[in-house]
Amino acid sequence: MPVSFDYLARETASNLWRNRLMTIAAILTVAVSLSLVGTSLLLRQGVAHATTQWQHGVNVELFLKPSVSDAQRHSITQQVTQLPYVQSCLYRSKLYDYNEAKHLLSPDEAQSLSVGTTPSSLRCVLNNPSEAQAIAKQFNGYPGVRNVASPIQAIKTMESVTRVLQVVFLALALILLLSASVLILNTIRLAIFARRREVSVMKLVGATNWFIRVPFMFEGVIQGAAGAAVAAAVVVGVHLVLDALGNSKTANILYTMRVSTHEVITTTLVVLLVGVLIGSIGSALGIRRFLDT
Amino acid sequence: MISFENVTKDYKGGTVAIRDMSLEIDKGEFVFLVGSSGSGKTTFIRLLLREEVPNHGRILVAGRDIANLSQWRIPYLRRNIGCVFQDFRLLPNKNVFENVAFALEVIGRPKHVIASQVPQILDLVGLSKKRDSLPGELSGGEQQRVAVARAFVNRPLILLADEPTGNLDPTTSQGIMRLLERINKTGTTVVIATHDSGIVDQMRRRVIELDHGTLVRDQARGVYGYGT
Repeated sequence: MPVSFDYLARETASNLWRNRLMTIAAILTVAVSLSLVGTSLLLRQGVAHATTQWQHGVNVELFLKPSVSDAQRHSITQQVTQLPYVQSCLYRSKLYDYNEAKHLLSPDEAQSLSVGTTPSSLRCVLNNPSEAQAIAKQFNGYPGVRNVASPIQAIKTMESVTRVLQVVFLALALILLLSASVLILNTIRLAIFARRREVSVMKLVGATNWFIRVPFMFEGVIQGAAGAAVAAAVVVGVHLVLDALGNSKTANILYTMRVSTHEVITTTLVVLLVGVLIGSIGSALGIRRFLDT
Repeated sequence: MISFENVTKDYKGGTVAIRDMSLEIDKGEFVFLVGSSGSGKTTFIRLLLREEVPNHGRILVAGRDIANLSQWRIPYLRRNIGCVFQDFRLLPNKNVFENVAFALEVIGRPKHVIASQVPQILDLVGLSKKRDSLPGELSGGEQQRVAVARAFVNRPLILLADEPTGNLDPTTSQGIMRLLERINKTGTTVVIATHDSGIVDQMRRRVIELDHGTLVRDQARGVYGYGT
């Protein structure tokens, strides 16, 4: 059953125009919900990046007392590097740590620091990051060791925080997606109701169900796609803003969470696809009742 | 062309609309279906259009049992059956030409076919000069002519009319009947459900009378009421 493009365009345009308020509502709902979906997808990729970066980086830091002697330092270094699960260690001098601390802390806090009181440190990469606990146990309280720190805890906290955020985002997005489909369904129903005379005449003279259905489904698809396009723009915008922030020095967590252009494109495509799907499913459900003979 | 074999149709709640009806209507016949309101005339037409499915029995249209028709074939059945109603059912925002063309458009006929067939049929129903008028600008008789044109433009095998003159005065009704007769002469089977005794008595065609869903009379050259 060929449906001519001319006919399709004409019918769809007039339907969209007749229900323009509902159309706008449906498009906006799709836009908001898909923006949330897209952003949470980006966030998830960013977190994945950040955590792997940390896992490939330093796993455990042994801070040495400022008063540590060279002999103590040598012995500690030797013992740590000989542990089977330690891959490599790097010694950072007091001066290096002082500069780093100054960079990380606020100016007020940094003022109370001096090179002399800053601990030097050994930063080790482990074969298995989960062994950080064992090192902490062994070296806490060891002569010359001030304390053992591991960012594992920080990673875990960040992971659980982002996991909650993701769940909240996705739940919100799902609810909104559902309401978007219902809105589209309702818009289509209104459109059909407005044209029930035409639909009944079409059925009377033997138009196939697909012929009747296609313009309305196309309308739903356009609503879904338009909303998705807005959402895709939001996703790209969020990405650009985060990227700009991550490249400035102040926010280095964002820097570790940066995602590639490739990932942004994939996310955008997913968002568009979901929009079109919602549009077609919503409209297909909306029409069903009117086509039962 | 149309064959009912022991057809029964009842609705939920126990109303029997058609009771064990058997009849034959041949190709090219002109038939009146008469009976008081609620006698089952409209159900008869809805069954033929496959808007209803019988509970028992078979309905054959052009040799095919339409009760077993799969859903997607129903539109193709309806392309072979033109239909006219008491309330015309024209689209108020389309003009005469567009209303008739719509019937061809929605079954996917190409533009050049529409451009040649619609003027032909408008000529047949005598509305060539009003092709650009909207239905609201036409008289009842003219609107019914547009409806007949729309029903016939696809050259269906069967033309059904449900009270086609119900809203028209006697003179206009006669005009519509003459039009239906002309269509009948082209070989189309015409079935008219009516309680317009005037036209039935005047035309003396086959009369099938229903009463409470039962066929009570089938007369070759009948009148509306009993007698003759």
